[in-house]
Amino acid sequence: MTGALPGVAPMAVPPGAFLVVATLLFAIGLAGALLKRNALSIFLSIELMLNAVNLLFLTYARMRGDLAGQMIVFFVIAVAAAEAAVGLAIFVALFRTHRTVDVDKIALLKW
Amino acid sequence: MPALSGELVVFGCASFLALAFALLMVVQKTPVRSVLSLIVTFFGLSVLAILLAAPFIAALQIFVYAGAILVLFLFVIMLLNLKEETADKDDRPVQRTLGLLVALALGGLLAGATLRAPVPPRGPLTGPRIPMPDEIPALGRLLFSDYLFAFEVLSLLLLVAAVGALLLSKRRFE
Amino acid sequence: MKQLWLIPALPLAGFLLNGLVALVASSMRAEKESGADHPGVPLPYAQRLFHGVVGVGSVGLAAVLSFAALVPYALGSMQVPEGLAPIVQKVYTWMAAGDYTIDVAFRLDTLSALMLSFVTLVGTLIHVYSVGYMQKEEGYGRYFSYLNLFMFAMLTLVLADSLPLLFVGWEGVGLCSYLLIGYYYDKDFAVAAGKKAFIANRVGDFGMVLGIFGVFALFGTADFSFVELAKRQVLAGNAPLGVYAVCLLLFLGACGKSAQGPLYVWLPDAMAGPTPVSALIHAATMVTAGVYLIARCSALFVLAPDALTLVAWIGAGTAIFAATIGLAQNDIKKVLAYSTVSQLGYMFLACGVGAFGAGMFHVFTHSFFKACLFLGSGSVIHAMHHEQDMRKMGGLAGRIPQTFRTMLVATLAIAGIVPLAGFFSKDMILGSAAASGHWVLYLVGLFTAGLTAFYMFRLVSMTFFGAPRGHAEHAHESPATMTVPLWILAAFSVVAGAVGIPAVLGGTDAVSRFLEPSVTHPPIGEMAHGLEIGLMLLSLGVAVTGLAWAWRWYGRAAGPVEAVSPQAHAFYEKTGALGRLVANRWNVDEGIEALVLSPFRKIGTFLWRGFDALFIDGIANASAFLVELLGDLLRFFTTGHVRNYALAFTLGFAALVAYVWMS
Repeated sequence: MTGALPGVAPMAVPPGAFLVVATLLFAIGLAGALLKRNALSIFLSIELMLNAVNLLFLTYARMRGDLAGQMIVFFVIAVAAAEAAVGLAIFVALFRTHRTVDVDKIALLKW
Repeated sequence: MPALSGELVVFGCASFLALAFALLMVVQKTPVRSVLSLIVTFFGLSVLAILLAAPFIAALQIFVYAGAILVLFLFVIMLLNLKEETADKDDRPVQRTLGLLVALALGGLLAGATLRAPVPPRGPLTGPRIPMPDEIPALGRLLFSDYLFAFEVLSLLLLVAAVGALLLSKRRFE
Repeated sequence: MKQLWLIPALPLAGFLLNGLVALVASSMRAEKESGADHPGVPLPYAQRLFHGVVGVGSVGLAAVLSFAALVPYALGSMQVPEGLAPIVQKVYTWMAAGDYTIDVAFRLDTLSALMLSFVTLVGTLIHVYSVGYMQKEEGYGRYFSYLNLFMFAMLTLVLADSLPLLFVGWEGVGLCSYLLIGYYYDKDFAVAAGKKAFIANRVGDFGMVLGIFGVFALFGTADFSFVELAKRQVLAGNAPLGVYAVCLLLFLGACGKSAQGPLYVWLPDAMAGPTPVSALIHAATMVTAGVYLIARCSALFVLAPDALTLVAWIGAGTAIFAATIGLAQNDIKKVLAYSTVSQLGYMFLACGVGAFGAGMFHVFTHSFFKACLFLGSGSVIHAMHHEQDMRKMGGLAGRIPQTFRTMLVATLAIAGIVPLAGFFSKDMILGSAAASGHWVLYLVGLFTAGLTAFYMFRLVSMTFFGAPRGHAEHAHESPATMTVPLWILAAFSVVAGAVGIPAVLGGTDAVSRFLEPSVTHPPIGEMAHGLEIGLMLLSLGVAVTGLAWAWRWYGRAAGPVEAVSPQAHAFYEKTGALGRLVANRWNVDEGIEALVLSPFRKIGTFLWRGFDALFIDGIANASAFLVELLGDLLRFFTTGHVRNYALAFTLGFAALVAYVWMS
């Protein structure tokens, strides 16, 4: 599949490499989200996943030769910022009541 | 094996950096160290963005992501005075092993799936063609014409997020 | 007369008025007094006057209108050889679906004219009688409103121009029968009797409805124009296949309504209702609806001769069967009830041998003398302070002379003594049976006539003759509102036969010729005049023998209550087990209970307990139980740990990706 479209300047680095890197980063981020106990660490892993996806979008944009792909990335970054703000505010509030951000210790809605 | 060129070298270094520090981030026990590792990862990613003819995005990555968001993280970590993650009695071994397995499996699957995916379709382009010499102005033009509505909504979103964050972290409602 | 619909509409208005006033008055009365009923307290005079006037007036007015319509029609019809064409008046279109239309339309032809004449006349007389008989009842208003409703339904039935509209009236009379039998609703046996009547009718109605469907299927229409179509087929000589089935189904309906065959059981029990009700509904009008139906559909029955023969046999069988039971009954009303069943059997016998005219003639005459007998028995019961057991009566002839004389006349009529009405009608039936070659049926009918004479005179003897066995000293004659109808009916019992005097005795056989345009018969052979007169003398002789025998045994009966007549008692002892069986009404009710009702109840109980409760409820409960179980198992998925949830949807996502990869 690697190879740009005709009419677009060819890439020096094969695009498949970018895709693999992005996918691996995503997998690493996923592993972190599932394995960490600290809420903030989980959040960091999610940020990593978002960035991996950004990389994917940029790769496809370059492969197609279409600028619009970068638009998406722009918006993703902005939204991630907003999300980080709100998420951290929630963690702060959570910490005030529970005195911990360990997700294993905040399991109230259990059977 | 593609021809060895500068770009390839840069790609190799940057991606290695990114991957290595990403792994480090996941492995670290201290939250502060995780954040710092992630910052380095982002640096690597922004280099990759430049390679992909997206200089603006690369800059944005450094400014916004590494510079603002992760710094915010650091602030919060320090505010909450989080110590190192206590690795005592992890009473969820099933979660750990299963999680690791699933993540690995998914990673493999995704990689395979992405690689097997067909070439992006030759539909009409929705934006100017890249790479181009002056793409930042083109990006700006795109933002304020075709994506104007999304842009305005985005600004509203940021406003709402700011207000929300403020509200959530207040001590008492006054 | 242009407004036939007024004839049923007037009693309907009477029903509504009476019913409304009764309801309002009783609720006002219930507010004033608190709590308990006062069953013996009569209503205020003003209210009784209202109910009486509306009740009698609506029916009386309907009678006047009826005669205004039918007299000119009848006279005109007699003058024209083929009779006048029927008058059909459509009121509105009831249903229209595709090719089928059912209209609400009323029909006046010779057959319905005949029915109309005695239904309205006897109906009015009984309403008048009820004014006196029921005046102490608190339910006076309710009684009259139901009675008016009954007249509405019966008149709809008689004047209907189509089977569906006839069926509306059919069901209506069944309903009113239930309401009126159960008039004394605080008595359990009355309520049960009402239910029994309705259910037995329902069994017949099942056949009736299917029969109506069959008529639709065969002829494409259910209004009585189908009779014309059927008549044409009779003349053409071909019979479509379904006709047998339709005839049998319609006859089933008639059996239910007219208490024939095993469906007779409701009529004796129906005596639980007030006596005027028994007179009107169960003697003169409702029970004759079955015969009317058969006569109406005569053309259809003629196309299916075997069905017609079945009708005759069932009629004859029921006649003799009921007569045997009547021999041993001690309740005055029950004797009359079984007598009615028996006489109805005669009417079906007549229709069955093809003499529809004779059957309708007997309907006509029977309504007068049976109504007279029932009303007379009501007068006796009234005089004896509600005693109905004849063994406790006796010696009343001098004390209630008017009742005695009218009942004697009616008894002679029913026994078939010349020149009273019953003689001519019964003789026409027996003569037709003989003329058509059904000699066995003739003999059955003849023997039954003898039994009839016997048990009727037994009734008269036990009640009026001999020494008084009960409280005869306190008996007094009934008021004029009760005796005048008795005299009128007795008079009709004498003269009503005049319309049917056969040619051999010098008459014109008017009734058969009158009905000729409306009914179809198979060709009945003529009998030799000598034979005809001989048979008449024979039946007269049999009747006189019956009367005499009853007189011998009961006329001067002076025995105690348990064995009023020593000769009868001795005879009864001699018959042993058979006698006991007859006295116990051939154990029919017990038989039905054992053969039909009990199995049904068992099946119902099984279906209820076994099938419904265990199986169906079990399925419902089991599904609820399973859901609960599933819930109990699945709740362990909500661990409360976010990481588990994240893992869960990651797994799902991985599965999706794998699936996409595979495909």
